[in-house]
Amino acid sequence: MEQHHWVEQVRSGDQFAFRQFYEAYANGAIRIASAITRNRELAKDAVQETFIRVFRQIDSYNPTLPFDPWFYRILTNECLRLINKETSLVKVEPSNLDDNPALVEKSFDQLSDLYDIIQSLDDLHRIPLILKYIKGFSEKEIADILQLNQNTLKSRLFKARKHLKMLLDPHGEEDVT
Amino acid sequence: MSKFDKRIEQKLSEHTEKDAHALEEDIWKGINEELFERRTFEMKKRPKRLMPAVAVIAAALVLAFTLQTESGSAIMKSVKDMFAPEKEIIQSLEGQDEHTNVTLNEGKDSEYVIYVDESRYKMVKGEEVDIITTSEPLPDDFPEVSMEIRQYPDELPDDLVKKIEAELKVEFPDLRPVETVTEPVEGYWLHGLAESVWDGKVIDVYVVSNGKEGSFVITENYFLEAAEGHGARFTHMLESFEIVD
Repeated sequence: MEQHHWVEQVRSGDQFAFRQFYEAYANGAIRIASAITRNRELAKDAVQETFIRVFRQIDSYNPTLPFDPWFYRILTNECLRLINKETSLVKVEPSNLDDNPALVEKSFDQLSDLYDIIQSLDDLHRIPLILKYIKGFSEKEIADILQLNQNTLKSRLFKARKHLKMLLDPHGEEDVT
Repeated sequence: MSKFDKRIEQKLSEHTEKDAHALEEDIWKGINEELFERRTFEMKKRPKRLMPAVAVIAAALVLAFTLQTESGSAIMKSVKDMFAPEKEIIQSLEGQDEHTNVTLNEGKDSEYVIYVDESRYKMVKGEEVDIITTSEPLPDDFPEVSMEIRQYPDELPDDLVKKIEAELKVEFPDLRPVETVTEPVEGYWLHGLAESVWDGKVIDVYVVSNGKEGSFVITENYFLEAAEGHGARFTHMLESFEIVD
């Protein structure tokens, strides 16, 4: 179903129509939220709150723009809000992180699985990867969701993949560009 | 897609797919309860006439009144004493927190108070209605952006909401069914969008009990593209609305 149909479904305020919309979007939303929050309960809360916000704020969606980036921007922001609420860790300035060659928060020796390695990246590099590989969003869409300049996003994705590649394949047998 | 990309995709899929299936129904139950079951239940109930906070404030005012001899000025002073003249709030706009300084404003005859973000808006007090609008006027081709607060001392919310609904349906044929809400205020909520274009007129009307035999009607006017800006800011300001008389 085309995106504008989903918007109309939500806008109708009808329970059955909203359930259909939920069934179409829930799987992707839960997977993204699980990966971003790394916590089942936070993911559950983030997804629930996102659908409630979408229902109540559908009129704030600009129909001339694609719907999915709007939906996933709300979801991503909600995940980050809940993570921030859970932790008292001070958020590091993006500009400092971009210059920092050490993108991972844990030592590679502590990590055994590719998933763990992805999850050990800082949020600036981890979240674009999650959006790209779970939902297959384009760079433009991810930049839109995260409200970043497309070149900034491209650079973060490149650095993240390069770093993963370096950790997983130090001999450079595969192309990561 | 390279082999490396496929590995990443596969790993993320393996680790997230299981949770997705397991949580899907559980999350829907929460959404359904919040959006549909609660609404049905609350519509059947009579809305509360007065917020607990209002009752506390009213009690405090009675106490303040009995302790002072200068009636009018005593109330005005105590209202000001009970609320900080300025404070910082954290408002969530599109899920991102923004720190905003807000200033206490009293409505006509000190019947209510509301904190206004005076860096963006001003409150204009009138004989019948108080209006919060942008500090700087918007360009002529922009639809109205304002929040009006008006009291109807002799009309109960139950009666008034039906009248307002009928009136709004003329300009907003797709007006949503009336909902009872507890946020940003406790009362009835009407919401309409005139047209799905950037400058389509949006209206939010809240009808709340004045604690006696009347109602306060708060009307937010903005346009579609301003929903996440002015619309969200009005809602946050309205959260601070308190009846004091």
